[in-house]
Amino acid sequence: MSLTLLLEKYDVSTEDGLQKALNEIEKEESDVNEALSNALSRACSLEGKLRTASQAYTKLGEVKNDAQTAADMVEKTAVLARDVSAKVRQLDLARSRVAECQRRVHDLIDLQLCSAGVEAAIKAHDYETAARHVARFLSMEPGSVAAARARGAPDPRSDMARAARTLRDHLVRKFDEAARKEDDVAVERLFKLFPQIGQTEEGVDLLAKYLAVQTESKIRKASVVEGGGAGGAGGAGGAEAVHADALTRVLEAGAGALQRVRALLLHAAAPHHFPRALLVLQPVVCAGARRVCGSLAARVRGAGSAGGAGGEARAAEPQLSELALAHSRLQLYLAFLRRNTASDTANLPEAERKSCIEAVEKIIQESDLMRTAQDLLSHYLELERYFLEESINKAMKLSAAQTGPPSSLVDDVFFIARKVIRRGISTGSVDGACAVLNEAAAALERCAAASLRRRLAAPPLDPLPLPAPPPAPPAAPDARDLAAQRALYLEHINEAESGAEWSERLASEAVGAGEALCRCEVERGKLRSCAAGLGAAAAAFRHARAVALAALRAALQPRLHAWAARLAAPDRTEEMEEEVNALTGALDVLGEAARAQLPAAADELLAAAVADVVARAEHCVLRQHYDREGGLAVERRARRLAAWAGSNAGGARERCARLTQLAALLALERAAHAHHALQPAARLAPADARHVLARRTDFKMEEIKRLKL
Amino acid sequence: MEDYKFLFKVVLVGNAGVGKTCLVRRFTQGLFPPGQGATIGVDFMIKTVEVDGEKVKLQIWDTAGQERFRSITQSYYRSAHALILVYDISCQPTFDCLPDWLREIEEYANNKVLRILVGNKTDREDREIPRHIGEDFAQRHGMYFLETSAKEAENVERLFMEIAVELMEQAKCKELPKYDGSLGPINGKTTSVGDSSCCLRS
Repeated sequence: MSLTLLLEKYDVSTEDGLQKALNEIEKEESDVNEALSNALSRACSLEGKLRTASQAYTKLGEVKNDAQTAADMVEKTAVLARDVSAKVRQLDLARSRVAECQRRVHDLIDLQLCSAGVEAAIKAHDYETAARHVARFLSMEPGSVAAARARGAPDPRSDMARAARTLRDHLVRKFDEAARKEDDVAVERLFKLFPQIGQTEEGVDLLAKYLAVQTESKIRKASVVEGGGAGGAGGAGGAEAVHADALTRVLEAGAGALQRVRALLLHAAAPHHFPRALLVLQPVVCAGARRVCGSLAARVRGAGSAGGAGGEARAAEPQLSELALAHSRLQLYLAFLRRNTASDTANLPEAERKSCIEAVEKIIQESDLMRTAQDLLSHYLELERYFLEESINKAMKLSAAQTGPPSSLVDDVFFIARKVIRRGISTGSVDGACAVLNEAAAALERCAAASLRRRLAAPPLDPLPLPAPPPAPPAAPDARDLAAQRALYLEHINEAESGAEWSERLASEAVGAGEALCRCEVERGKLRSCAAGLGAAAAAFRHARAVALAALRAALQPRLHAWAARLAAPDRTEEMEEEVNALTGALDVLGEAARAQLPAAADELLAAAVADVVARAEHCVLRQHYDREGGLAVERRARRLAAWAGSNAGGARERCARLTQLAALLALERAAHAHHALQPAARLAPADARHVLARRTDFKMEEIKRLKL
Repeated sequence: MEDYKFLFKVVLVGNAGVGKTCLVRRFTQGLFPPGQGATIGVDFMIKTVEVDGEKVKLQIWDTAGQERFRSITQSYYRSAHALILVYDISCQPTFDCLPDWLREIEEYANNKVLRILVGNKTDREDREIPRHIGEDFAQRHGMYFLETSAKEAENVERLFMEIAVELMEQAKCKELPKYDGSLGPINGKTTSVGDSSCCLRS
C-alpha cells in the first residue's frame, strides 16, 4: 500500500490513527520479507533446471544428426528396391514369354506329329492313337497355330483338319462295318472315340441307330404272342397273361438298349446327349408296344363280342387283369425313363439338367407309347365298367331271389368293389384308379339306393315282436315264410349299417394304396376327391338304414299306441302289480329281439319306441278324466316305465321324466300340492300343468287357476 | 377340415380345342396360357368363392376332349353338380357335336344336374355360330347359356359365380325337407360323410 493511500485511509493526525498506520506498515513489511525469502529459496532449483536444459540441448543436436543419416539411408534403399522390382517384372515377363514359346514349340512339334501321326495311325488301324492326336489338336491354343502361320510356316490346320476328316470318315466306315457284323465290342470301342474327335453327337446318332436296328429285331421276336392271336377268343380259358408277358419282353428289350446308351454316355461324360439317343430308339419301342397292345385289344374285343350277350362277367376277369398288368408295365417303363434321366443328370449344371429332363419329358409326351397306354386304359375301363355293373346286378338278383345258399348282398357287392378298386390301382395310373373309384362309388350308391332302400321301405308284417296289451287278440299262427321274411328284413338293416362302414373303409384303403401312384399334389387331390365319392355311397347306405328304422317304428306304432292308451287308462284293475309290469314286459320282449337281431340299432330303436309311447300317453291323458285312484294307477305305470327306460333306453329318459311329472300331478291328493309334483325341475310348462290338473274331476277349476306354478 | 360351407363339383366337357382348360385357368389362376397342350385324362382345380357371405368351394374337373379319354371322363359325370358343355363359336363342328354330348350326359349324369351351354372364344373375328343359334339350342334342351372369352376374361368369372349361386340355392332348398316322413328323423346322426358333397343328394 502506498503512503498516500495510507494517509487517506488512516487519520494520521491522531495517535491512534498513526498507530494503525504503523501496524499496517509493519504487517506489510513482514509480508514482503516472507515473499523475498521464498523467492530466494527457489533460486537454487531454478539454477539446477537451467543446467539440465542446457545439457539436453546439446544431446538433441546429436540425435538430429543421427536421424538425418537414417532418413538418407531409407531413401537410398527405396530407390534400390524400385530398381529391383522393375527388374523382377522384366524377368517375369521374359519367363512367361519363354514358357509360351516352349508351348508353341511343343504345339508346333505336336502339330507336325499330329497330322503325320493321324495318317500313320489310320494306316496302322490304331484309331485310338489317331483320336488322341486329334484330341490334342483340338485342345491346342489357336494362337499357336496362328503364330506358326504368321512366321511363314505352311498352315498346319488344313493338314490337320483333313486328317481329322479322314479319321472321322474311317471311324464312321468302321462303325458301319462293326454294326453290320453286330460286333458289339467294336461298336462300343469306336463309339468312345467320337467324343475325342469332337463328334459326340454324330457318335450318339450312330450308336442309337445301331441299337435301334438291333432292338427292333429283338422286339420283333419278343412281340410274338404265344398261343393267342388276334382272334384267340377261345384262348381265354388259357388265362396266362401272354400279351402282358410279350409287352414286358418288348419293354425290357427297349430298356436294355437304353441302359447301354446310358452307360456309354456316362463313360463319355456326356449324359446330356441321352435325349438325342432316346429320340431314335423310342419309336422302335413304341412300334413294338403298339403291336402287342393292338393284339391284346383285339382279343379283348373278340372275347367281349363273343361273351357279351349272355356271357358271365367273371369270364372278363383274366382279360381285365391282363389289361391292368399291361398298362402298369407301360407306366413302369415311363417311370424308368424319368428316374434314370434325373439320376444321370444329377451332376450337370442346373440349366443343362433341366433342359435335358424337359427334352426327355417332351419325347415321352409326344411318343406313340402314351397313345398306346391311353388306348389300353380306355379298353380296360370300358371292360371294368361292364364287369362291375354285371357283377353287381348279378349279386342283387341273387340276393333278391332268396334261393340257394344265403349270401349277404353287401358282402358280395363290397367284395366286387374292393377287387375292382385294387385292380384299378394296379394299372399304375392315377386317372385309371380315379375312374374306377368313381364307377365303384356309383355302383355302391345304386346298390344301396335302388336295391336296399326299396326293400327296406316295405317291412313284412310285425317285423319285431311286441306283445299287444291285454286283452290280447288271438295270435295268428306265424307262417313259416313270414318268419323268413322278417329275418331277411332285419338282416338287410344290418347290411345297410355295415355297408356304410365298408364304404368308408374302402375309401381310406384306396387312398392309402393309391398314394404311391401320385407324382404331384394335384394327383393326390384328385385321388382323394374320387375316394371321397365313396362317402356319398356311405350316406346312401345310412339313408337306407334310416328309412328302415322309420319303417320299423311305423310298423310297431299301432301296438305302442295301444300300450300308451293302456298306460293312460283311468280305471284301476284288481291285479295292479301284474298290470304295472305288463308294458315293461312287452318292451323287454321287443328289446331282447332287437338286441339279438339288430345289435347296432337296438338302443336307438328302443329309445324311439319308448318316446312314441310317452308322446302318445301324454296325448291320451289330456283326453281322459281321473279320480285320485285312477291318477295313482297312471302314476305307478309311468314310474315303472321311467325306471325301465332308465336302464334299457337311456335316450328316452328325458321324455319319461316329463311323463312321470305329468302322472304325479294326476295322482296329487290336493291341487295345492302341485309344486311338489314338479320337483326338482319343472318339465311341464305352467299352462300344460294346469291342463293336466284339470283332468282330475275332484279338483276345482278356480283353485287350479289360482295356483302359482 | 377346411373352412367352407358347400362343396360343388363342376365338370367341363366338350370337343377338343374349344378352350375348356383356358376357361378353368382363367377362372382359377387369372391366366390365359397360350399354346396350351391337350389335356390328358382329367385335370383338377379348386377355387373357393364367397356367395352371400358364405364360403363355397368349387371343385372344377377339366376333362380331355379327345375320344380316347371318354371312358375316364364319363366316370365323372355322375357325381357332378354342374356340367359345363363348351363349344367354339368359330368352329361349326364343335357345335354340331353338341347332341352327341347331350346324349352322353343323359346316359351318365344325374338327371337333376345343372347344365350350362357355353360358346367360347368370342374374341375371335371369324364367328361361325351366331349367338341366337346357341341360345335357341340351350333353350330347347333346358340349359343355361352364356358366351365367353377366356382370352379377354369376358364372362368367365360370371359363369362360375352364377353356377355357385344357383347350386347354393338348390342346396338350401333341398336341405330343409330331409327325411320328411311323418315320424320325423329317427337317426340323430348327420348323414353326410367326410365332406359336405352329398348335401345335394338326399
